[in-house]
Amino acid sequence: MCNFLRLNNPLTRYLRLGDYLLILMSIIGILWLFNNLWSNEQAAKVQIRQGETIVGTYGLNQTREIQVKGPIGTNTISISNGRARFSKSPCRNQYCIHQGWLNRAGQAAICLPNQISLELIGGTKPYDSLTY
Amino acid sequence: MRKLILFAAVLAVIGFGILQFKKKEPLYHSQSYVFGTLVDISIYGESNERARVVTNLILQDFQQLHHRFHAWETDASGNTSELRKLNEAFAKGTSPIEVQADLANIIRDATALSVKSHGLFNPAIGHLIGTWGFQRDEFSAVEINQATIKNLVHAAPRMTDIVLNERNVYSKNPHVKLDLGGYAKGYALDLALQRLRKEKINHALVNIGGNIIALGQHGQKPWRVGIQHPRAPTALATVDLPSGWAIGTSGDYQRYFIQNHQRYCHIIDPRTGYPVQHTQSVTVLIPPQSVHQTQAGVLSDVATKPIFIASAENKYQMANVFGIEYLMVIDEKSNISVSKKMAKILYWQQPDVQFSTFE
Repeated sequence: MCNFLRLNNPLTRYLRLGDYLLILMSIIGILWLFNNLWSNEQAAKVQIRQGETIVGTYGLNQTREIQVKGPIGTNTISISNGRARFSKSPCRNQYCIHQGWLNRAGQAAICLPNQISLELIGGTKPYDSLTY
Repeated sequence: MRKLILFAAVLAVIGFGILQFKKKEPLYHSQSYVFGTLVDISIYGESNERARVVTNLILQDFQQLHHRFHAWETDASGNTSELRKLNEAFAKGTSPIEVQADLANIIRDATALSVKSHGLFNPAIGHLIGTWGFQRDEFSAVEINQATIKNLVHAAPRMTDIVLNERNVYSKNPHVKLDLGGYAKGYALDLALQRLRKEKINHALVNIGGNIIALGQHGQKPWRVGIQHPRAPTALATVDLPSGWAIGTSGDYQRYFIQNHQRYCHIIDPRTGYPVQHTQSVTVLIPPQSVHQTQAGVLSDVATKPIFIASAENKYQMANVFGIEYLMVIDEKSNISVSKKMAKILYWQQPDVQFSTFE
């Protein structure tokens, strides 16, 4: 460390205070982005949309297949073990299938040609307690 | 100089990193069964250990209340509860028995509330409630005996039949049987709030069988409470509960049985002796009350009953009697009515909820 900081070290010779600040800001920025965008929350539900309508919201705690019709045919969406994925699609590129299993809140997969999307929703309840 | 700056920078980054990754929410949550119902306690901003200790203190308080004021159980050692002893004395005649100071206060307060409600809140109709089978943990459809019900209504047990002299109590009417089912949970909420404050807890949410009281808030946001949809397994709306406020709901969907396509719920109209069938649910929000008044928890528990029982045109007036400004009523056709103040604070959980406002 001390060696690294020496002024005659070829790496640090040309670095000035502003450079260090810039490096520092970058690191903080990366950490901030990582923390805010990397969600580790296990998802509880998957919301399926076709076009502008919500086809349905399904719990991930089950094993089932859901068929959704779009303009070019029918997609099959599989749910099992807290995960969801596109498993069959009539589209040419099969990008949606390649997205694979989704299991974290905030994850999404989309089949553009057939206008179908999956979005995983977190287990966070909209309230703290219930009056009944 | 440069060394120093770099050193500080590295420290800052490490500190920032730790802060970011250690910010797991300091929320303690416990669920247990006391009072024959679900008790749900959340404590925010305390260590897990501390929260657990305080939760246990609250649960012990509840357990004790339950044993003393339970209407039909005997405790573990086979002793009858204080309330049952009192009821037996009421049935025998007019020789007074001595009760604990807090029970005397409860009787005094419940009587005042009963008078206020013109007898629609009537904890003296324990015999009627028993006839309908609701004084059992596992209840089922009962044979409806019209003659018995008629006799019980005719016997007209009222809170005002109870004579209270300091701590000595008797009843002028032997048909009085106290059932604190519509009072005790609210009382326990107030007790919980006292306990939390005494233990210097600043943020907590306590839910006893659907009656809730809030203390402080949930981090940066107020505690948020969902209001059960009476006919669907979801929340109809949510509302933020400020510190010290209580919320209570009476519904026909928690304790009820269905016979010949008729729903018989546990809320009984003392005037007819029959369960109320014109209302699905009543929800009230109660702000903190001054020291010598009925406290928020009790009021949130008690006030929903007479509003539930009162006919549609009298419901709002009944709420006014109790000084209630935040009210939601859902009738037997699922029509929703809310007070103007309530309308402003509800967040509907479904799009396009239709409701009318009370005038």
